[in-house]
Amino acid sequence: MTYKTLRWLAVLPALILVLAVQAHEPSEHMEEAEKPKCSEMKDMDHAEMDMDDPVMQAMMKKCKQHMDKKDADSKESEHRHSESDDDATRKSQHDH
Amino acid sequence: MTAPRFLPCIKCLIAALVIAIAAALAFIYSGLYPVGADDHHTPLTYWALETLRERSVDRASSGIEVPADLDRSERLLAGGADYNDMCAGCHLKPGKDESDFTLGLNPAPPNLTQPHQGEEDLESRAQHRFWVIKHGIKASGMPAWGPNHDDERIWSMVAFLRRLPELSPEQYQVLTARGSAEAPHH
Ligand code: HEC
Repeated sequence: MTYKTLRWLAVLPALILVLAVQAHEPSEHMEEAEKPKCSEMKDMDHAEMDMDDPVMQAMMKKCKQHMDKKDADSKESEHRHSESDDDATRKSQHDH
Repeated sequence: MTAPRFLPCIKCLIAALVIAIAAALAFIYSGLYPVGADDHHTPLTYWALETLRERSVDRASSGIEVPADLDRSERLLAGGADYNDMCAGCHLKPGKDESDFTLGLNPAPPNLTQPHQGEEDLESRAQHRFWVIKHGIKASGMPAWGPNHDDERIWSMVAFLRRLPELSPEQYQVLTARGSAEAPHH
């Protein structure tokens, strides 16, 4: 019985180690600071988006900067965003 | 009149018990048990292990209070990024249906991008998942994430798991990316 238990004590850390190593494979590494690919969202029909859906709200939040920058000047809007992210959700929730 | 003499045969019972324990020990020390992960259990063992796991998680998680705000978009973003970093290797992501871990682990990690099977309600599923993520599952590849992650973070992953099966690969990518959006080039 003890042997079996001990075996798992050895196997589990090994597994976790393997996983940590895996995360350092080059292909995984690229994903570490991956940027959201927002270009697909830009092309979506705004009228068809369901803004009540948390998934859509989350995507909008992630891509807000991207979408706004289409017509705003970079520096100012970037500044505004860092402060207004929260307001934006609250507003969109109140809208309904 | 021999039957009554069998009942109080305590010595026989003890002898049987000792023999059983000795046999079990001999088996353990013999090295005959195939411990390889690629050697599959018998259906009976699978049933016993699965039932044991389900009953245990069910009992242990039954009193857990599920936060009312699992629907918040902030939860999806926090849970999504964590899921992608820590779980997708084993539990997959949209557009991927196997990995070294799903092929090699025994028991195999369930594919969490597939709609959940089973008739438990949303509430108890959330309780189960929270408990499993926090405490892990003994003698399987599922680690306990509790030691290094607070409850809020774990709940956010539970929230993300609820929506994961309906996400397209593109939606998944946007929700789980840790970086911030790049301005489109003019
Ligand atoms: C090393 C691989 C591995 C990693 C990494 C991993 N898991 Fe698991 N997970 C498993 C395995 C294997 C099981 C099945 C255990 C069993 O059936 O006894 C499991 C089971 C689960 C279950 C129970 C599923 C069910 O329907 O019963 C949940 C929920 C879960 N994992 C969530 C997560 C989350 C969230 C993460 C990331 C924080 C994660 N797992 C990371 C291997 C892993």
